[in-house]
Amino acid sequence: MNFRQFAYRNVTRNKRTYVAYFLSSMFTVMVFFSFLLFAFHPTFETINSSVRTGLLTSGGIIYVFSFFYILYSMSTFLQSRKREFGLLMMLGASNTQIKAMVFIENLLIGTFSTMFGISLGLLFAKTILLVAENVLIIDERLHFYVPFEAIIITLISFLALFVIISLFVAFVLRTSRLVALIKSDQTPKKEPKASIFLSVLAGLLLAIGYGIALTVKGVAVVMALIPVVVIVMIGTYFFFTQLSVFIVRFLKRRDYIFYKRTNIILFSDLSFRLKDNARTFFMVAMISTVAFSAIGTLFGLHSYLTDGVIEINPYSISYKMDSDDQPEIMAEEVNYIHSQLKSMGVEATSETIDVAFVDMNEGYIVPVLKESDYNKAAKLIGEPIIDVGEGETIINDQTVAMISDGPKASETLMTFLIDLEGDHTLTPAKVIQTNVFSSMNGSYVINDADYVKLPKTSMNRTSKQVYWMTEELSRDEIVELGEALEEIPPYRVSMIDYTVFQIERGYGPALFVGLFIGLIFFVSAGSFLYFRVFTDVDKEKEKFTMVTKLGLKETELKKIITQQLAILFFSPIIVALIHGGVALTALSHFFDYNLINESALVLGGFTVIQLLYFVLARHFYIKQVKRIL
Amino acid sequence: MLKVNKVSKVYEGKVSYRALSDIDLTVEKGEFVAIMGPSGSGKTTLLNLISTNDTPTTGKIMLNDQQPHTLSKNQLATFRRTELGFVFQDFNLLHTLTVEENMVLPLTLEGIKVKVMKEKARQIAEKLGIDSIMSKRVYEISGGQAQRVAIARAMIHQPSLLLADEPTGNLDSKASKDVMHLLTKLNKEEKTSLLMVTHDAQAASYSDRVIFIRDGQLESEIHRGDNRQTFFQKIIDMLSLMGGETSELSSIRLS
Ligand SMILES: Nc1ncnc2c1ncn2[C@@H]1O[C@H](COP(=O)(O)OP(=O)(O)OP(=O)(O)O)[C@@H](O)[C@H]1O
Ligand SMILES: [Mg+2]
Repeated sequence: MNFRQFAYRNVTRNKRTYVAYFLSSMFTVMVFFSFLLFAFHPTFETINSSVRTGLLTSGGIIYVFSFFYILYSMSTFLQSRKREFGLLMMLGASNTQIKAMVFIENLLIGTFSTMFGISLGLLFAKTILLVAENVLIIDERLHFYVPFEAIIITLISFLALFVIISLFVAFVLRTSRLVALIKSDQTPKKEPKASIFLSVLAGLLLAIGYGIALTVKGVAVVMALIPVVVIVMIGTYFFFTQLSVFIVRFLKRRDYIFYKRTNIILFSDLSFRLKDNARTFFMVAMISTVAFSAIGTLFGLHSYLTDGVIEINPYSISYKMDSDDQPEIMAEEVNYIHSQLKSMGVEATSETIDVAFVDMNEGYIVPVLKESDYNKAAKLIGEPIIDVGEGETIINDQTVAMISDGPKASETLMTFLIDLEGDHTLTPAKVIQTNVFSSMNGSYVINDADYVKLPKTSMNRTSKQVYWMTEELSRDEIVELGEALEEIPPYRVSMIDYTVFQIERGYGPALFVGLFIGLIFFVSAGSFLYFRVFTDVDKEKEKFTMVTKLGLKETELKKIITQQLAILFFSPIIVALIHGGVALTALSHFFDYNLINESALVLGGFTVIQLLYFVLARHFYIKQVKRIL
Repeated sequence: MLKVNKVSKVYEGKVSYRALSDIDLTVEKGEFVAIMGPSGSGKTTLLNLISTNDTPTTGKIMLNDQQPHTLSKNQLATFRRTELGFVFQDFNLLHTLTVEENMVLPLTLEGIKVKVMKEKARQIAEKLGIDSIMSKRVYEISGGQAQRVAIARAMIHQPSLLLADEPTGNLDSKASKDVMHLLTKLNKEEKTSLLMVTHDAQAASYSDRVIFIRDGQLESEIHRGDNRQTFFQKIIDMLSLMGGETSELSSIRLS
């Protein structure tokens, strides 16, 4: 048996040790392939090329990420086998032979995982395309196709990746120290110590970082971004390497906690494992936070755009004609809209109102509505009607979406008096805030009798506006109606559902790619923890065999494992969730827009994925430990 | 106290293997019994059956009028940590705990008060001469000390039966002797029954009675009598009769 055969047999016979590494590599290949499968879909050749460029760029990012992910998986994998290498060297294997073995092994695993990853990707291709179709809002169906390009690119890029990583790893493998490693596994380390100073610093840095992130508003968010990120990153690093160890040691010193039944076993090596895994935890927390922020931004931007439009457009369709000097065109177009609705069989009610644009103060133009018109429109969208007395006005403030920095419109409008013909003036009585009529400068509502007395001289222009409320429309109806309305110039007519539809269609690819990458981050964060937890399983088995011989109940065994895994799994997750929560809050301050729903969705999705990982890890862990008992 | 009644063990597998057949054995309260026999004769198997780590294929094992193999898994765990104590060849201590923490492990699992626990640990450590290393970690102590810690752990909850599988297997002759002295002392003072598997004739000579097993069957037994030297000689003779490693053994003089 030559050495190549030996390496080959080492992989094929020793399946269990290799499975974790193999699966994570395969998963990475599968993700990359699925992404390409979608990016190379023929449909996108016909749609604009910027979408495709975006997709391919994202593909590049995923590839770079895959590189580090696989490099990382490989190094943990090799870490867990140090002892084996040491043993081989004791038996007389040379450095070169071990490096050759590692190289061949990795190549073997790489080749198989590439092939299996692609096959699995093909298997799920239809599902992936179906999901993409729904998120993307494309008119065409994404039919199944034979993705030659995707297959070839994945194959080449990952084979290259594995060759490079294998060479790299084989090259940097420090075999000289390996002999010592046989022993290093048996002679336990000193209990890790935590520096009080650094532990306090960790808490302090996190508190400061959070404090800044939560208090800055508006544009300052951008300015604070980099310092906060740096502060929080350092804080997080010391949190995992120092503070967590410090807390465990603190708890261990409390006799009533430490000597309480199974706690002694739980705590016995917790500080070791926390310290050993500190870097992984740090990385997981940071990756997840980045993913939160990225997805949050995308989601936030999306909701910000669509919700804003929806808020200032409460009516299904609105039509406006300025300076009613073209009454024939208006009559024709309004009729056209009515007939379209009728021919499509859509139930709709409509109202027509007059709006006078009055120049209040050297170009400060404010729309004025008469009471009856306002109430007609208000009834249409179910807002309360109002009553304006003669000689007074009611100010309708900007809607929330329109509020920007600076004074509210109503504050300015309160200072004006509206002049009528003759010597009369109208004084503001009160302020309301409805979306019956939206205007940047706010608007006035006045009594019908006063409306006719508005002087022509102060009038900038007048306009007639028609509002429709329709029943709930299906997506097809929205598209049909929206396209029909494109006959009319877009500055005169707007159909809110169709506008939102167009925004979503334009935004779809970005959102999809963002979610896709975010999902990869979430899943890889989970995998990191999963593999990390399992690298120690052999030592754990030894420990549990020992304790079981002394008499450990199965329930106690399960309890210890559950607590231990929960601490290892959720400490980075909880940190990530808190980071993410803070990041998203800062983001909502930046947009000046409430991101509660989006945040809940993103953070909730993440939590669900990690919970799933935890349940899986716990299940397999307990199964493995129980097998030896 | 301990009654082993017509116990057999068959390991099922591709070829099922009869490791023990029809073993009868009684250990009285406070008695110290050693089990000897060639490698592969079934000593560890017998000990595993008694320690409830394994179940007999046929036969009955009674300990203090209880039949541990009829207990549920949870009851068994409690039974082990109250009625039995174990000493292993490789000590079986947790590396991540200190000496003291290792010692009190069985008590902790039972939920004993911290104060009581520490007091007991102190007493037994004094008796075994390990009170100066209580706060050391396991890797900082010698093999002989480690075995004493293991004995302390096995004794701390005052079990009715102490089981030891080659407790001196990893120790040099000086450390072996210390450990054997301790075990006999505990056996006499605490009236703990002791069942020990060993290859070492010298260790066996500390017992009250040696039982020889061969090919899974009881071969014979020798009682101690008054003189340890003659007991030792009888054990060696018996071993050579059974085809043990006589050439090595005959050269050993009892010191
Ligand atoms: N789990 C098992 N499955 C199958 N056969 C086993 C198992 N454990 C032990 N045996 C077999 O039973 C026989 C007795 O083994 P045991 O371990 O009891 O021997 P021993 O007397 O303790 O030997 P040693 O002195 O070398 O420790 C051996 O032949 C062994 O191969
Ligand atoms: Mg044995």
